[in-house]
Amino acid sequence: MRAAVEQRGEAGATGSSGSVVEQLREKIRQLQAAPRRYLAVLRTGMEAVDALLPAGGFPLGQAVELCGEAASGRTSLALRAVAAAHHEERLCAWVDGPRELYPPAAAALGVDLERLLIVRPQAPEQRVWAAVQLARSGAFACVVLDLTRGVGSAGRTPRVSLAEARKLADAAERGGGLLLLLTSPEAPADGMTRLRTEARDGKGWSVEVVRSRQGGTGTRAELPWSVLYPELGLEDGGRVLDVAEAGADATPDFLRDQAGALRNGCGILGQRPGRDAPMPSLREGLDAAGVAG
Amino acid sequence: MRRAYLHFTRFPVQRKVLELPELAGRPFALVEEVRGQRRVAFASTTALKAGVRPGMTLTAATALEPVLRHFPYRPEDEARALTVLGEALMALAPGFQLSPPEGLWLDAGAAHLVGGEEPLAVLALERCAELGYRGHAVVASEAFTSRALARHGARRVEVVPEGGGARALAPLPLAALEGGEGAAFSSLGLTTLGEVAVLPAGAVAARGGVAGARVHARCRGEDDTPFVAAVLDEVLEERVVLDFPAESFEPLRFALKTLTDRLGARLSGRRRAAVRLTFSMKLDPRGQARVPLTLARPTAQAKLLLDLARHRLEELKLENPVAEVSARVDEHSEDRGQQLALGDAPEGDAALEVVLSRLVTTLGEHSLFAAGLEAVHRPEAAHGARGFHPPERRRGLAAEGLEAGARADVAAGVGRERPSRLLAAPACLDAEVAESGRLLAARLGGKRHRVTALAGPERLGGEWWADVPYQRDYYRVHFEGLGPAWVFRDGRDGRFYLQGLFD
Repeated sequence: MRAAVEQRGEAGATGSSGSVVEQLREKIRQLQAAPRRYLAVLRTGMEAVDALLPAGGFPLGQAVELCGEAASGRTSLALRAVAAAHHEERLCAWVDGPRELYPPAAAALGVDLERLLIVRPQAPEQRVWAAVQLARSGAFACVVLDLTRGVGSAGRTPRVSLAEARKLADAAERGGGLLLLLTSPEAPADGMTRLRTEARDGKGWSVEVVRSRQGGTGTRAELPWSVLYPELGLEDGGRVLDVAEAGADATPDFLRDQAGALRNGCGILGQRPGRDAPMPSLREGLDAAGVAG
Repeated sequence: MRRAYLHFTRFPVQRKVLELPELAGRPFALVEEVRGQRRVAFASTTALKAGVRPGMTLTAATALEPVLRHFPYRPEDEARALTVLGEALMALAPGFQLSPPEGLWLDAGAAHLVGGEEPLAVLALERCAELGYRGHAVVASEAFTSRALARHGARRVEVVPEGGGARALAPLPLAALEGGEGAAFSSLGLTTLGEVAVLPAGAVAARGGVAGARVHARCRGEDDTPFVAAVLDEVLEERVVLDFPAESFEPLRFALKTLTDRLGARLSGRRRAAVRLTFSMKLDPRGQARVPLTLARPTAQAKLLLDLARHRLEELKLENPVAEVSARVDEHSEDRGQQLALGDAPEGDAALEVVLSRLVTTLGEHSLFAAGLEAVHRPEAAHGARGFHPPERRRGLAAEGLEAGARADVAAGVGRERPSRLLAAPACLDAEVAESGRLLAARLGGKRHRVTALAGPERLGGEWWADVPYQRDYYRVHFEGLGPAWVFRDGRDGRFYLQGLFD
């Protein structure tokens, strides 16, 4: 519409109304001739990572696995793919097994929370089923299945069986959306493109193509943490502000244990309690002093 | 006032066939009780061909047609179905008046909005045909003229101009009078309304009294019956009582189809779309089951509603058979319709709704949600669960980027230093702390992780007005073999807690 207004302004200057119609027609022809934008890949927006993938991004219609330690950038990569889908106004779903996704951080990465369906199944074995249903429906451009275990939880991480992996890949292909699996190294999923993420040190992290059918296996990209978290500030050992010890004076009085308890049960400034608290028994005091005896 | 009369020939029969498609082409009758005798009120075409006539006793009718099926005729159900039809036509007319059991008047005052009175009548009939009803439509200025012509006229759509009532009515037979008055005129040897109209008014009034004068006036195309628009119900609720308590899903499916068809028609007539529905089932002899249904994208499509209801109810386990089903729209929103681009599949939304419904059935309603941000300072409380109602995609020119400026940018900078994973509850760290209070290492999952980098603190505190105030010094810590984590030292007990992972 803005273009139309501009055109009208130019037409007013030249005074020829016929040319406006012609220009608008030309504009319509251009719009119609332009190829329809079909989404084929979801780019993470980080060139080094996109270059690793044969399609130039996470390919739609496939299941891709992101495998790595608890904090190695897997979630951020997945969130960037989701944000890319949201940029095209498509829907996404996140099957959040360990219940750890933090929506404020997702929103900061460009994820549209209204278009992100979060599924938190009660039973762990329902995760794969839910992801298969979501991916197969075709209503979601990107489905993320978080198969990791929560940090604090005990026990072994259940592995995705071969049949389940086949089902997931089939669902992604039938639905035409991207299925991202987030796994940990001790329980990887089988039979699909796999990227391994690794946190190296405070400076950066790396992504490596471990398994791929389209080639590129073994290629690796190393990136600084600042591309994921610009304000992390862990380079060169980090910066620690010199603050007073918490025990000394940092915590306000009202947050510590009740001051009354510290002052031998008496009120502020150590005087006798008011009417609200019971008076200490006189007899006890006398007993202690041995007067009654 | 201009009004359109829609006449549905044997409306109760049409309705019955819609509800039970197996009855199409079969002989059946709707039976009412008159002074202790069951008499035929309406009969299907096949039954009529066999000689069954309204008013005949059921015994006589069955003698004529041994395979005749019969169902009770409930006038209130017919009125209800007609009301639904009227509401569905509210998209074309501002008001409607029922004329049970076979027709209704529409206010044709807004006909110019659809291109005239004839297009209005045609559109109304098309809309009825979509819902499965066949009918005749006549637009006229008087109630009697429109009704008599629709019931007894030959044309399917007719528009009688203002003042042309008498001429249009003239060829109709006396049966169009539908009362005792017709008999009096026929005993005089008259056969058409036109012949009645030419009688001297004074003589008719002298012989027939007020009733005679009224009939005479109507035949002359004068009728002052007012148009009383039906009052719309505030609550959108539909109810179907099953003939027999249903033990399987099959009979329930037909009842659900009736319910969703009616709700869809009423919603679309009001230009509304359902957001939340409740299906209630009354069990026999006692008990009740309620099934809520929340839609991600509001819709008024009866087919989609039926699909979802079927998904939800198909695998429901009930202890007693179902005697009655009702559906209520608890929440509805404005229906903006759907603008499809070339190559778009209209069933895209249906796929979404069906998969959501399946997940809700299996996982429970609380397992699916969309997150929303809350204006809360405490990190773990800064988000909340909302219903998943994604906005529609913009299409056409808007999607081609001509309105790119309208796209709302996300709040940049806010939350960029927050971890993408946050533990549901902060986990107490088995930490090694130096003399100075600095974190050296931590034991997580049985492994010792050395701290290689540390940044902070970022002090967050507050809620001192509430029962559980907090005061925390947050550090961003890089653990060897784990990655960067978000750790805080609680001011209340001085211990380190792990809260999130920069994954």
